[in-house]
Amino acid sequence: MKKLSYLFLTITLIFISCDKEGIEGPSLNDLFGELNILEDFAIINDSATFNNESAYFTAKFSKIVDWKISIIGQSSGAEKIILGKSNEINATNSLWSGEVTTLPFFKEENCSVLLTFPNHSDSIYGTFKINEAKTYGNGSELVVSDFENGFNPNFTNFFQSTCLKKIETGDAGQSDRYLVQEGTCDWDWLIGYIDYPASHWFDQGVLNANPDNVYFNMMINGDSTLSPTNEANSLFKLEFYEDENQDGYYDQNTEDRLEVEFDVDWNGWKMVSIKYSDLILAWNSGGNAIREPNKILKIRTLLLANPESGFAKADVDYIVWSEGSAILNQ
Amino acid sequence: MKNLITKIIFFLGLVPIISSGQISQKVWYDGNSRAMFYRDALSGNLKDIDTTSTRSEGEGYTAIDLGMHFTPNDEIEIFSEIRIKNDFGYMWGSGAYVDLRRLSVKGILNDRISFNLGDMYLKQTAFTLNNFDQELSKYEPSVFQAYRDLIEYENFYLDNYWRMQGLQSNFSYTFYNAINSVEADFFASRVRGVEWLGEPELLMLGGTSLIKLENSLSLALNHVNAFEVQSSSLDTATYYNPVTNIQLKYAKKINSLTYRLSLDVGGSTRGWEKGDGTNIFETSGNFIKGKIKAVGKNIKSSLAFSYVDPNFRSAGAQSRRVNYISAPSSYAYYTNNTILRPVSLMDITTDPNIYNHRLSTSLMQYNTLYSAVSPYGEATPNRVGTSALFDYKNNDESILASADLAFFQEIIGQGTEEKRSLLSSGLSVAAHIDKMTPLKNKTVFEVSISSEGVTRGGSELESISFNSLLLSAGLSYELFKNLKLIGGIKSFSGKGNEVGAQRDEYDQVVGYELLDFDSKEEIMMLGLQYNFTNDIYFSLQTNQIEIDDKTSDIAQLSLSRIYFMFNMNL
Repeated sequence: MKKLSYLFLTITLIFISCDKEGIEGPSLNDLFGELNILEDFAIINDSATFNNESAYFTAKFSKIVDWKISIIGQSSGAEKIILGKSNEINATNSLWSGEVTTLPFFKEENCSVLLTFPNHSDSIYGTFKINEAKTYGNGSELVVSDFENGFNPNFTNFFQSTCLKKIETGDAGQSDRYLVQEGTCDWDWLIGYIDYPASHWFDQGVLNANPDNVYFNMMINGDSTLSPTNEANSLFKLEFYEDENQDGYYDQNTEDRLEVEFDVDWNGWKMVSIKYSDLILAWNSGGNAIREPNKILKIRTLLLANPESGFAKADVDYIVWSEGSAILNQ
Repeated sequence: MKNLITKIIFFLGLVPIISSGQISQKVWYDGNSRAMFYRDALSGNLKDIDTTSTRSEGEGYTAIDLGMHFTPNDEIEIFSEIRIKNDFGYMWGSGAYVDLRRLSVKGILNDRISFNLGDMYLKQTAFTLNNFDQELSKYEPSVFQAYRDLIEYENFYLDNYWRMQGLQSNFSYTFYNAINSVEADFFASRVRGVEWLGEPELLMLGGTSLIKLENSLSLALNHVNAFEVQSSSLDTATYYNPVTNIQLKYAKKINSLTYRLSLDVGGSTRGWEKGDGTNIFETSGNFIKGKIKAVGKNIKSSLAFSYVDPNFRSAGAQSRRVNYISAPSSYAYYTNNTILRPVSLMDITTDPNIYNHRLSTSLMQYNTLYSAVSPYGEATPNRVGTSALFDYKNNDESILASADLAFFQEIIGQGTEEKRSLLSSGLSVAAHIDKMTPLKNKTVFEVSISSEGVTRGGSELESISFNSLLLSAGLSYELFKNLKLIGGIKSFSGKGNEVGAQRDEYDQVVGYELLDFDSKEEIMMLGLQYNFTNDIYFSLQTNQIEIDDKTSDIAQLSLSRIYFMFNMNL
């Protein structure tokens, strides 16, 4: 009896002495606690030359919290957003190498830096100077046009009489100048098109023959607020003509045409990046059905709109081929 | 419905014919009958404030549960129970129902192995399969018997057994050596059937093996496994929850007291498995409970230590009786905003429709106000502590007293490293005054008090201080033979703050709800009860019910009720 009692007591005490480490569930303090800044928000390297430097931010909080750092170019209006959820901001979660989240690209300019907390009213302000903006690309990019030197007269084009294309300065997606395309056409879907011959980029280098490795990138500026219905009213179509036999002409009976189309349903600049292998073969394409980016003859960009729905607009800038990934990821 | 009635008539007619054809066959009947009626009326300030609810409402019914036992031979008994129910207020059968309430076949094979098919009552240990009592029912005075009988009968609550369907079998062998006997019990139960495009079929298999040794030592192995059948649903993952409990018991008589030592050790695993055998989520947890119990002529006391891991999960032992996600029968929607009235003391004490009949594969919701210390019974996870019970009765049993005290602590803090300390205590005294005084009429007075307290230290955000108190009293005075005047009260109050845990589909804590309580609830009753026997009685009573949640401007209810029940259990 006595031995059994000792046995029962010993086993019970062994279990009772077990204590679990940590806590069950999320921290109460993180969910309901007051937010205190334990270590001030600081910008490490308050200026940077982004071709070989980077910057990061530091701060410490009293709880794990959702935070957001917004860096806005005071001249360009470009915006970089860094999001996180932690009780500390440091190099591992806030490193910035000059990339942009919302176009246009940053320039050499002063930037406003704002740290905010989505679930708290607190906000902390700072400034940052870009000595040299980041240049995108890994060295293998081929620029179709950035319109900095105006509109190339060799780009054949057609625009309806009530529509226009023009070079505008200021508020460009990249650098200073861009191409405006807009207008109203109540008798046809076509607002206008432009052909970009391949000779204008193949003189810079060659495109990789692997369609999985080639990306077409183009900045497009939409503005649905100009539409009478305040809704997206522009349809953008891209056509890629391949010269498979390399004779300098496109024959739809024997060669491929690839295409893609999408609504321009955003306001402001946006980089559209399309992997060449994702392009769709046109219904009347008569070629070998193999996507061959190294044999492109020309690109045609078409701006379309429903004739009944009025004004359409889709400006373009910085048309560029990239290899390996979309241009903004380089 | 018509088809069922035809079958019943056919069955009722056929059975006597069969029984008359064979001399050894017997048919015998038993049954229960109940007539119940209640009417609630808004009273107090609420009558003027709440202009959208009806001024009064009520319902009633008569029900007969006819049990039929057919024994074709000495080894087999077929039992069926048919309910015929007629709601008050209908005519020509429009409010009448005929349901098959219970059906089972039981028998003995070769005088050694007994079996039971169909409806069955199952129970193992407090950690594997146990239908633990609902909150606010401890030390309830017997004057509330009419309500309690109704709840337990309508919900198939028999002691702490779960009513399930399936197959059960047991056998025992007696030896004449170091092992006195070996007993084994197995069951297979279907907890949830196939649902069209719904959840998979849920089965539970289990068994108990008990070895009794000659030196008053016994060893038992209890095991249950609740699991979903993958092939019965389009769901990509199915649930499994095996639980094992090894019990070691020893008894010895020293002087006038018999001491019983018991040790329960075991563990559980619960998870969800994909069809390809990979686990989506799995947790395991252990438990241990040591208990020493002393039983004498006038006293019975026990002291226990227990540890239940935070990840211990047992569908059979943690499923709750009260289902808080249900609409109460009386004034389900109230106030001018027509909001769903939360389940309260009144509903827990009087309403059979808020109770759960089925095992739950996840931790069911509970209200911290009413059940802060052990919301999942003895198997409540994340508890370590000690508990003591003490029962006393004097020689002529004119005084019966019970007391309990339990102190637990969390094993791991919830949302903080600070841990809750939980204390529950209770005291109950029942006095048969007629045995103690010259009073000739039977007079019983019962009074009890139960309290719960939760504290947690730490910052203002982490700290918890919550206390609740349930005071109950009842007086039964026999006016003349078998007719009693009964009166009673249950008064509950809870005040303080708590932090409720919000759990995901895997019962993991994913958030919290900061709770403030300042609530007072009362049920007062006065009435007459006539007992034909202990199990056959009628009760006519009036109740006054008050609910006042001071943390809310609208969560108040004041009701006057007339309640009648005739109850007959044969």
